[in-house]
Amino acid sequence: MIRAHGLTKRYGGKNPKTAVDDLSFEVRPGTVTGFLGPNGAGKSTTMRMLLGLDAPTAGRCTIGGRAYAAHTAPLTEVGALLEARSIHPGRSAYHHLMALAHTHGFPRSRVEDVLATTGLSDVAGRRVKGFSLGMGQRLGIAAALLGEPSTLILDEPVNGLDPEGVLWIRNLLKAQAAEGRTVLVSSHLMSEMAVTADHLIIIGRGRLLADTTVERFVRDSGSGSVKVVSPAAARLTELLAGPAVTITSDAPGTLDIRGTDAEHIGTTAAAHSIPLFELTPQSVSLEQAFMDLTHDSVEYGTPLEGAAA
Amino acid sequence: MTTDTLTRPTPAPTRSPYRVTTSRVLRSEWHKLWTLRSTWITLITAAALVLAVGITMGSTYDGDDSEIDTVVFVLFGTQLSQICLAVLGILVTAGEYANGMIRASLTAVPRRGPVLWSKAAVFTTVAFTLSLVTNVVTFLVAQLWLAGTDKELSLTDSGVLGALAGSAAAITLLSLIALALGALLRSVPGGIGAFVGAVLVLPEVIGTLPLDAVDTVVKYFPAQASSSLGSITPVDDTVSAGTGLLTLILWAAALLIAASALLKRRDV
Repeated sequence: MIRAHGLTKRYGGKNPKTAVDDLSFEVRPGTVTGFLGPNGAGKSTTMRMLLGLDAPTAGRCTIGGRAYAAHTAPLTEVGALLEARSIHPGRSAYHHLMALAHTHGFPRSRVEDVLATTGLSDVAGRRVKGFSLGMGQRLGIAAALLGEPSTLILDEPVNGLDPEGVLWIRNLLKAQAAEGRTVLVSSHLMSEMAVTADHLIIIGRGRLLADTTVERFVRDSGSGSVKVVSPAAARLTELLAGPAVTITSDAPGTLDIRGTDAEHIGTTAAAHSIPLFELTPQSVSLEQAFMDLTHDSVEYGTPLEGAAA
Repeated sequence: MTTDTLTRPTPAPTRSPYRVTTSRVLRSEWHKLWTLRSTWITLITAAALVLAVGITMGSTYDGDDSEIDTVVFVLFGTQLSQICLAVLGILVTAGEYANGMIRASLTAVPRRGPVLWSKAAVFTTVAFTLSLVTNVVTFLVAQLWLAGTDKELSLTDSGVLGALAGSAAAITLLSLIALALGALLRSVPGGIGAFVGAVLVLPEVIGTLPLDAVDTVVKYFPAQASSSLGSITPVDDTVSAGTGLLTLILWAAALLIAASALLKRRDV
């Protein structure tokens, strides 16, 4: 369980820039929580504060009930992958992990296990200098898994990965969550989160925009319009008219109806023997909904109401 | 929770065998130091330079430099090894900022202080041991040529071992100061610049000012305070070996304490 309360980070003295602004959220175990926001929204800063690397200007955050630094064996509590590489390129993958393992007294077998899990066993003796971006990410994940932590915090883990690597991380995160772990994973790609995450925390300009489930986010932010094609479009328009319903038409016989659902439209049409050639609920793409949400925050700096209650 | 091997039941923190301890952080830093090529290269270079210069001095000695202290004479190469070890000290701390390794180090040890103190302890042990062994070997090898000259001495002669060890201590403490500068400045070029500029050059420049007070103060600058440490006979116009050793320890301690305080306060 991760808790952030009133988390705020400001940089600079006289003319401070607010990177994270009064951010409060909870990340629960057993699900993958996507941490979304455009570049510069404050995701990495928030994650660094969770890990005690940056000190918050105000507010507090806890992982497993305590501040990160208060854990006696932090690597068994939290495994983290930071966006910027945190590996000395001159050391081999094995020795990098072994150096981290020594701080907690993890046995060599743990290092070998995570190397195998991340598919790095064959290159463990090679210096990280020669690693591809994907291998570097895998090594970062291996380090995160080293202490079998109950919480994973991963900053843009799919960045620069090939499709196979993306799929691997996606399955890994889901498996970790299914085992009861808390998984917080940041991304600026809604499409990736839609297939990986169950829960979403969306921020823009350091402020919370939405704290919701993927499903509800789609439903609430989707346009919810229904496309109808009928030879009796005008008659149908009259029948469906109501205070909450707006009907527009782009082409003769084609209607775009908002404020009601396909079931009601179909039933109404059937009751009046109106033939329908097409009755299609239009779901807005997740990417579009995400851009609509964050676009406003970026452009005007005004937070929208969270999509969830 | 499943019974999968990956899943541990959530244990009370005290029950787990895994915990960050001072000795484990020391072990981690020891491991980190020896798993980089740059460590081996700088250490071997430092030792080779002292030995090579010592052999050169010994084999070409013709009696002209009879007034120079014998240990100082055979260990002229330490002026070169000093640079190597200072650079290694800076790499140990500032090097982790260049590649982001510091974030991994401080995430593993969020109390932060033990990371710096362990680095200092491991580095001090390695630098002193290497310097002492190198100094003794170089002295003995140089004596193969110096036997029969006015610089013939044995290890057991009065003050010889003290000067060889003093020289190793001076190099180690000056390099430890470099390590602390690297931690304070968090930049390898910055650390090297600060060490060369502030420790090696600045006091020489200040020392040219025609003021007695300045002369006295400059004697307590790190490089100047170390002057008598590697010499059998006291060097003129410098503090004694004992005072010099204490002065160097205080400089290194003060800078490390400052670096530790900043390490705990600053964002990474």
